Amino acid sequence: MSTKSVITTAFVAGALASALSAGSAFVTATGAAAADQEKCYGVALKGQNDCAAGAHSCQGQSTMDFDPDSFKLVPAGTCLSMDMGKPSLKPMNG
Amino acid sequence: MPNMREMPYAEAFAGTLFSPGRGKPEFLVGPNGKGAERRFEVYRNNVSVGLVNALASMFPATQRIVGEEFFRAMARRYVRDHPPRSRLLVEYGQDLATFIAGFKPLAGMPWLADVAKIERAWLDAYHAADAAPLVGEELAAIPENRLVDTILVAHPAARLVRSRHAAVTIFSVNRREGEVGAIETDIAEDALITRPHLDVAIRILPAGGAVFLETLFSGHPLGEAAAAALAECPTFDLGANIAGMIEAGALADIRQ
Repeated sequence: MSTKSVITTAFVAGALASALSAGSAFVTATGAAAADQEKCYGVALKGQNDCAAGAHSCQGQSTMDFDPDSFKLVPAGTCLSMDMGKPSLKPMNG
Repeated sequence: MPNMREMPYAEAFAGTLFSPGRGKPEFLVGPNGKGAERRFEVYRNNVSVGLVNALASMFPATQRIVGEEFFRAMARRYVRDHPPRSRLLVEYGQDLATFIAGFKPLAGMPWLADVAKIERAWLDAYHAADAAPLVGEELAAIPENRLVDTILVAHPAARLVRSRHAAVTIFSVNRREGEVGAIETDIAEDALITRPHLDVAIRILPAGGAVFLETLFSGHPLGEAAAAALAECPTFDLGANIAGMIEAGALADIRQ
């Protein structure tokens, strides 16, 4: 790598010294604590017999499930309350 | 349809499972030689519902964002087009983000694929091998004249997701209880996902941070990673980024 020469031992050593005494530049995501609580994701995943739950007719949904032309839904969750990508005045990535 | 002599049983069975138009596998019969069409449809439905439920558990923020009805309908489409390739259900959904990126009804949410990527990376980190994270003292012990050429080994759970949108913020607020307010979605956020011990954590990287870690994680020495980051972002702070990756538990080992 041609740019390697600009990175000197002194530069890296200085950075390391400051790293070991200074704080992190990474911002912990505000939702991380909530995500931390969700330890069970994946652990309990298994195939489920939906018939037993009586959610719907066992065989009736199968062809509809797979119908490629039946998709007419529009998103209706929290996306409705979020700003959908308006141009931002803030600089990209600080 | 090919018979069993030409095609292994499982392959013939799975082939019809995800193609309802093809009915049941020829060789499948009910008790006393009765037809098994309805029984097979029940089974097919259960497989589809089971996979859709698995996706809903793996991608809770994505589901919350688009709503349950939309998510489940989209997931059924994904299941049909992308049947599992692994026996492990926990491996499923690796390319859901790619599917979302190409799913026309979601064209108005260009950030959603990145949110799904973060959710999948979260699960990957959760199930990754355990390893003790590298601590600062171990870095401090590297002889100064070896630092530039030192290769740092990524922790098995460490994952990077780069986004041109505010994917980490959108992920975070939708994984929390409570209201989701307006979000400026066009602010780029690169995510570092780690699990140094038991808990998965996600951090937003500063400019240059993702290139720095990408270069390190692909096996290049520290000096090259710093150079790559500085090339992308002249204000890149090497010290603060080293401190950040140590604090996050993103590294497992030193190879000199």
